[in-house]
Amino acid sequence: MSTAVSVRGLRMAYGTAEVLRGVDLDIRRGEIFTLLGPNGAGKTTTIEILEGFRNRSAGEVSVLGADPARGGDAWRARLGIVLQNWRDHGRWGVRELLAHVGEFYDRPRDPDELLAALGLTEQAAQRVNRLSGGQRRRLDVGLGIMGRPELLFLDEPTTGFDPEARREFHLLVERLAADGMTVLLTTHDLAEAEKLAHRTAILVRGEIVACGSPAELADAVRAESQVRWLEDGRERVLTTADPSRAAWELHERFGGPVPGLQVRRPSLEENYLSLIGRAA
Amino acid sequence: MTGTTTTTTTTTTTTLPGGAATGTPRAGGGGVNARGLRVGLRRGWTEYLHLVRDRRELINNMVGTVGVFALLILWIGDGPVEGTGVSQSTFMTIGFLAFTVFSNGLMALPMALTTDREDGTLLRLRTLPGGITAYLTGRAVTFLCQIVVQGVLILATGVVVGDAGLPRDWLTLTWALLLGTVAVVPLGVAIGCLLPNPKTAAGAVGLPMMILMVTSGVMIPVTFMPEPVQWVSQAFPLYWQGLGLRAAFMPDSMLAAEIAGSWRLPWVAVALGAWAVAGMLLAPVMVRRVTRRESGSRLADRRPAAQAS
Ligand SMILES: Nc1ncnc2c1ncn2[C@@H]1O[C@H](COP(=O)(O)OP(=O)(O)O)[C@@H](O)[C@H]1O
Ligand SMILES: [Mg+2]
Repeated sequence: MSTAVSVRGLRMAYGTAEVLRGVDLDIRRGEIFTLLGPNGAGKTTTIEILEGFRNRSAGEVSVLGADPARGGDAWRARLGIVLQNWRDHGRWGVRELLAHVGEFYDRPRDPDELLAALGLTEQAAQRVNRLSGGQRRRLDVGLGIMGRPELLFLDEPTTGFDPEARREFHLLVERLAADGMTVLLTTHDLAEAEKLAHRTAILVRGEIVACGSPAELADAVRAESQVRWLEDGRERVLTTADPSRAAWELHERFGGPVPGLQVRRPSLEENYLSLIGRAA
Repeated sequence: MTGTTTTTTTTTTTTLPGGAATGTPRAGGGGVNARGLRVGLRRGWTEYLHLVRDRRELINNMVGTVGVFALLILWIGDGPVEGTGVSQSTFMTIGFLAFTVFSNGLMALPMALTTDREDGTLLRLRTLPGGITAYLTGRAVTFLCQIVVQGVLILATGVVVGDAGLPRDWLTLTWALLLGTVAVVPLGVAIGCLLPNPKTAAGAVGLPMMILMVTSGVMIPVTFMPEPVQWVSQAFPLYWQGLGLRAAFMPDSMLAAEIAGSWRLPWVAVALGAWAVAGMLLAPVMVRRVTRRESGSRLADRRPAAQAS
């Protein structure tokens, strides 16, 4: 089976508030997939429906071949889940907690090797509530992958990280994917999605507005470029989806070089921001 | 951007232990549940050790249980109760034992549950196969350890500080205490599931608990109560545990103060056992329901408040 997650027409309403309005998603096995969107877009709602933590209002959802609303323990054993904000098990030791979580699985990882891979060997005996924010996040990921899941869910894992911590975290996720794990990660940071994901879906107000590889995404969401030139001593501006054609036509019209010609393509970030705005 | 995986392999020297995840099916539901039970036993013991290592918790325990009880005995625990030949301290020891089980079960346990709900502990266990079973087993084990240690301390205080008699029937004492403890767990879990947050526990549970203490025969003989009250009291495990404990300590000359003039030990076992079994069936369902209402974003919302406290 090459599809890890398949979602069709997913809807979710809290009371009268419609939070998801017909979401379609396909996540392939072995890929890093990011769900990108601003705060309140419905990322957490989506991921927690896939995890079997919330009951959807409508739509078809299949995660590793099962409906999350009815997934049993055997299904759960194949998932790794890292939620947005965890402060649990504060009194436990770091290694102690990893080993405890490992006991729930048939073939757990070795806690010491995992600690080394997470860069937490020195903290092994420390109490969980004494860890720094970044260390705590890494431990959370460690707990999520202790049972060698096929599919790992990460909900905004790098919020509040400094750039160095973020970089290390990205390397960790990439290593996991290189081992064959499928990863679904949510983020509100475009740069993170761009750097990490094989494919990204952009979620805005409960709807997927674009989906694909970074290159496909850039095409799909391309905002119009600006072409500027000087004519009759004044600056002219043309906004167009096809700037090279506009430049060519100007070239023809001027019968040669166009004075003061500038073409400005929007950055992916500007595209993203305009997309969020457009959907609003 | 397209070369993310290539970058990885060149820049990282450490690889993660263990190979790729596979699609092999895991143990079926029953197997995982048995494991949940086994893991839960160890989990409960570990959590108990954490409590013991926490000095503040330990001092609270000592002062709160043993200290208060010793003072009570020194104050009013002298001499035998009129016309019974049983010392006042013995009565108080039994009452305090039952009170300890009940107050821990109905206040401390629900508070632990709401705390675990708030900080994400329950949610974490929901992510694990068999996690809820392990969680409840663990809570019961921790609770049992606490009760056993406090029970021993109370008994020792009664005997050393007062003149409480040693139990006449250790076996009955042991099973009534243990079974009674297990029977209170579901009540505590139910309360913990219903309470909105830890701070409301004392307020919501305090009064009903005191009423039940008075009507259940652990302070005043139950036969002093009007008959309808006796029936209500017999619906709760506290009455049956108190009865079992009295059977272990008291001579048969005290039977006049009991319903039907008998220790009714088989019924003690049946009533406490029924509570324990019903709880084991119902508690997981309740906990699952209550964790379904929790979620990552709700944890996030509560975060500032929880950190401030
Ligand atoms: N349990 C809930 N009850 C009611 N509304 C909710 C609940 N969870 C989330 N919401 C609302 O749904 C919307 C999407 O939330 P969420 O899925 O957390 O978005 P994101 O993770 O993208 O920030 C928000 O407007 C939020 O207030
Ligand atoms: Mg979120």
